[in-house]
Amino acid sequence: MALAVSTSASTAVAAAPVASALAAVVSTVSPTAGPIAAQGGVARNLVSRNVDVVLLGVILLVGVLVAYLVARAGRRLLVAAGVGSAVESTASERAARRLGTSVVSVLAWVLALFVFLVFAVLALGSAALLDYRQYLRDFIDYLPGLFLAVLVLIVGLVVADKVELLVGERLRGIKIPSVGVLPVLAKYSVIFVAALIALGQLGVATAALVVVLGAYCLALVVLGGLACKDLLAAGAAGIYLLLNEPYAIGDEVRIDGTRGVVQEVDVFVTRVESDGEEFVVPNQRVIRSGIVRIRE
Amino acid sequence: MADLDGLLGGIVEGVTTVLLFSPSTSYHERFADLEDVSVVVVGPENAVGAERFVELPLEFESITERIRFGIEGALDHEFVADGEEIACATTVFNDGIDGVIRARAGEMNHSGVYDLFTNSRADSDVIRDAVDVAIELGQKGQKGKPVGALFIVGDAGKVMNKSRPLSYNPFEKSHVHVGDPIVNVMIKEFSRLDGAFVISDAGKIVSAYRYLEPAAEGVDIPKGLGSRHMAGGAITRDTNATAVVLSESDGMVRAFKSGELILELDPEEY
Repeated sequence: MALAVSTSASTAVAAAPVASALAAVVSTVSPTAGPIAAQGGVARNLVSRNVDVVLLGVILLVGVLVAYLVARAGRRLLVAAGVGSAVESTASERAARRLGTSVVSVLAWVLALFVFLVFAVLALGSAALLDYRQYLRDFIDYLPGLFLAVLVLIVGLVVADKVELLVGERLRGIKIPSVGVLPVLAKYSVIFVAALIALGQLGVATAALVVVLGAYCLALVVLGGLACKDLLAAGAAGIYLLLNEPYAIGDEVRIDGTRGVVQEVDVFVTRVESDGEEFVVPNQRVIRSGIVRIRE
Repeated sequence: MADLDGLLGGIVEGVTTVLLFSPSTSYHERFADLEDVSVVVVGPENAVGAERFVELPLEFESITERIRFGIEGALDHEFVADGEEIACATTVFNDGIDGVIRARAGEMNHSGVYDLFTNSRADSDVIRDAVDVAIELGQKGQKGKPVGALFIVGDAGKVMNKSRPLSYNPFEKSHVHVGDPIVNVMIKEFSRLDGAFVISDAGKIVSAYRYLEPAAEGVDIPKGLGSRHMAGGAITRDTNATAVVLSESDGMVRAFKSGELILELDPEEY
């Protein structure tokens, strides 16, 4: 926003003739002004109108130029940051490609559009077509929020697609049709959060949606915690077993009444084999019941 | 006058299944449109997204081995029936498919190479990684000198009980797996000393410097192979392990299962 501030400061200098022009407009329209004063006012008004049109043109021209430069720099930055390859093969990128563009270009153009909008408002303000102070201040106040909202929405859509792809990739080995729900669920969760942030930026009341999000997260944490309780316990025990190695592969042990040779220790389970029977013992049971190492 | 199509077309006459070995996407797509021929893709990975796919764990240099593996895999997945006529399109000289070979499924002796990788106790990835390490060691040797090595893969608990340490175990309390990049370097160093590497079903390197003590009777390995092969072959009879042996004298990589020689590869060809 530093750019917008500095440009508005520079036009503040140019605002002096604009203010007089404004006064002229007001004086011509004003019914209380005398006819003689009105004649002089019209002449002055015409001159300053021309000046204003030139000023308007210059500001718009500069705006287009700056916007173009910002678009180019933005595109370069995004490509350098690896955004182009990161969004590859997501649905949004495909949709953008179908429209003959790409996510990077869309982002760069959004950036340029906002820069241009700032200039356009300044130009209109200086040409006294808008009430300079009131509208401009409102709009300038509103602009960063709007810009962020659009940005968050675009980034949210792209990230959602990416999340869907990644989750789908991880679950591809599991050949159950209902598993296909999970990537879609993850995608819409991300879109929901992005939309929430975007609406929050615009100042729309989102309290109800936040409550929905809170309930959703709570359910996720509680149910997830319940479902993964045993896995978490086994993982914690497994990390101890792997680091300290109280027994190693090949040792004969008795765990929880099961006697055999240790074949494999991983984070979640220990495999103990005896006489062609392989026991897969969860690691928290190993810790809870203790281990008997058998030496002959 | 007979034309070339009529003469050479006989190779693919009456064929109902085509095995494509590592085809490019466009090449595969042209086959997918065929009506009365089913297509099976054989390759290191399913790059073309084919419905019927057999994974090739190694890029077999020998075409016979490669085709044999593909047919055994296709039989195992029931993509082809026993006795079916098959055309195998594969690379013979350079990149791209440039050769077609006709074969009948199940006609060849069951070599067990496919079983070695997919139906062993250890994961197929682990066996592939062990073979890869042996091949690399065979190519480069240890500081330019040929080395021998012995990897016992799978059923590690039993193997450990049928062997004893020759020195203290450098892999104790370490958690390296045979596919890890650092392992190649470590194994190269440790292969200087005698003894076997023991690798678990999931690929964890359990120990190095193990002296194997299997009962050697009834082991049938080709004459002329040394004590390393004998020990490796014998332990696979006593346990459910697979042995991957790199010979120091002739530089060949051999794999044993159930006391039998299953696979023989020359590292120089890879």
